[in-house]
Amino acid sequence: MKPKRRVITTPGGRSGKRTPTVRRIRSAIVPAPPKGPSGTSRPVPGSPTAAARTTGTQPPGALEPPVASGFDGEVDLQVDLAPGRGGLDLSNPLVGAAGAFGFGVELVDVLDIERIGAIVTRGVTLKPRAGNPGRRVVDVPAGLLNSIGLQGPGVDAVIDRYAPTWARWSTPVIVNLAAGSAGDFAELARRLDGVPGVAGLELDLACQPSRGGTRFALDPAAAGAVVTAVRRATSLPVVAKLSAEATDVRSVARSVVEAGADAIAAINTVAGLAVAGDRSGPLLGTGYGGLSGPAIRPIALRVVYEIAQVVEVPIVGSGGVTGIDDVLDLLAVGASAVAVGTAALADPMLPVRLADELADVCRRQGLSSHRPLVGSALPARPAPPSARGVEYRP
Amino acid sequence: MAVRAGQYVHLLRDDGIGPPRRLPIPVEATDRAGGLVSLVVPAGRDGWLARGRPGDGVGLMGPYGRPIERDPRSRHLLLIAEGDRVAALRLLMDEALADGSQVVVLVGAATAREVYPSSLLPDEVEYVVATGDGTLGHRGEVVDVVGEFEAWADQSVAAASQPTLEALARLAAGRRERLGVAKLGRKRGGGRPDAPGSAAARRRAYLQVIVDQSMGCAAGACLGCVVPAVGGQSLRACREGPAFAVDELDWEAG
Repeated sequence: MKPKRRVITTPGGRSGKRTPTVRRIRSAIVPAPPKGPSGTSRPVPGSPTAAARTTGTQPPGALEPPVASGFDGEVDLQVDLAPGRGGLDLSNPLVGAAGAFGFGVELVDVLDIERIGAIVTRGVTLKPRAGNPGRRVVDVPAGLLNSIGLQGPGVDAVIDRYAPTWARWSTPVIVNLAAGSAGDFAELARRLDGVPGVAGLELDLACQPSRGGTRFALDPAAAGAVVTAVRRATSLPVVAKLSAEATDVRSVARSVVEAGADAIAAINTVAGLAVAGDRSGPLLGTGYGGLSGPAIRPIALRVVYEIAQVVEVPIVGSGGVTGIDDVLDLLAVGASAVAVGTAALADPMLPVRLADELADVCRRQGLSSHRPLVGSALPARPAPPSARGVEYRP
Repeated sequence: MAVRAGQYVHLLRDDGIGPPRRLPIPVEATDRAGGLVSLVVPAGRDGWLARGRPGDGVGLMGPYGRPIERDPRSRHLLLIAEGDRVAALRLLMDEALADGSQVVVLVGAATAREVYPSSLLPDEVEYVVATGDGTLGHRGEVVDVVGEFEAWADQSVAAASQPTLEALARLAAGRRERLGVAKLGRKRGGGRPDAPGSAAARRRAYLQVIVDQSMGCAAGACLGCVVPAVGGQSLRACREGPAFAVDELDWEAG
């Protein structure tokens, strides 16, 4: 049975118009996107993006169309997150981030699933997990602190319960994996390999190794080992999700790409803490929590900017996206796709609306595709890593 | 839209510096004729709502959640609340009074200043106050007063903090033995037991609770609001709750 779908109007009344249930028309009937002279996805000389780059003052989205030549066709927003591996094709670059969309099926009443670029599921573990005790979420200024603790039914139940539904959607579902060892990551990948409805895997490298030590994402060798093990276990596209807390995120990015990651997602939440009202201890049941939302947006931009300069694979940027300018910023620092998490908790339709707004921005700038916007803020020559100094350089 | 007692709405908390966040607020009262929904919103730390002006719009979504169920045969309803959580029980008072039931409301607060004003409650309810410092009503916890009404009550509903709900759950567990009362229910003992989480199970329960949980998505996706349930399960306050029969939940866990 087809799931019943309802289009919700925007809370807050920012754009309360009804959005029709149509997919963006594919590139087959759209003229090819304009390529730069070198054939790369650099901005076309003389285009508004290039202008923004040379003046270096405003993000592309803040520009009014300087020329009258708007593009009024259907904008090609397609993204391939695994070009080397048979493809992980997204109809648009707006992705539902892990955690905020559950297993997708919870949201069919409030989200037009077919119009989102992809959905990343909540973390899936080998065995069922009860999750963390006590309080799990708390609002903090410009963000959210959470400590859910990977509550879930385990990978086999996920395959039984949800994969048949995913297989009926045209939207790719990327399953987020969480495990305590490279072997367990590989076992998860093996069980999901070939399951209809599973379009790709995202490795939550912020997991803690069960035999002790720091999180995988903080150690290039450990992160690489996880990806190597998963790569051997599956032919599915693999996205490695990195943490902003690595000392040098570039080396982790290089390591996972060498190990065979098809794409990189960045960033995960940042470790934080909230204090209970009576100041008797931390507010969350487990003490620490992962901070998300606009509070971490500049961190996300910095990390994507650094990663994009050292690897060639597509990057799914995330961290505090609430509006189209945040999407354009992440694209500008090199993200090929953008994931929305915290802001979608209040407004699950936000990614779909942002995809429409991205198409509008492209039209206003006379672009038939969003791809020229990707990487427009990256430096011509590699910038020094943030690990070597941020506010002060000798 | 018919809101039932125990259900809640989400107020879009937009403090202007982050994305709007969902603040679950129980529905205090509704006026169908006037199309009004009234809510009692706790002040919170930053007072974002207090900065608004009369006439400003706020985003509101709902109603969400499963309601409290009253057994049609119960005539004496005992309501227990802490602080302004009593607002979550106001709709229930109206429903019960309209049915001709008698309602006693026990309210606890730290001090007299924090006692919910009785002027905001229906005139017909009996309002019993306990304050921690004894500045109004009984001195002590609201739980200490419950014993006086235990025999009188047919059914009870509580909206309080987790420790108070735990104490009430312990009281409710020993109630039948203490009082030697017959259980409201099928005359013959047989028949299938009510499905856990069903409206019938809540209707039959002596004590129902409204849990106080912070929520992320209210769609059942984020699992930020789960409460431990019997059998090692966990239930989402946003979907399976926020009203639960007391024996659905595991009061020893956590």
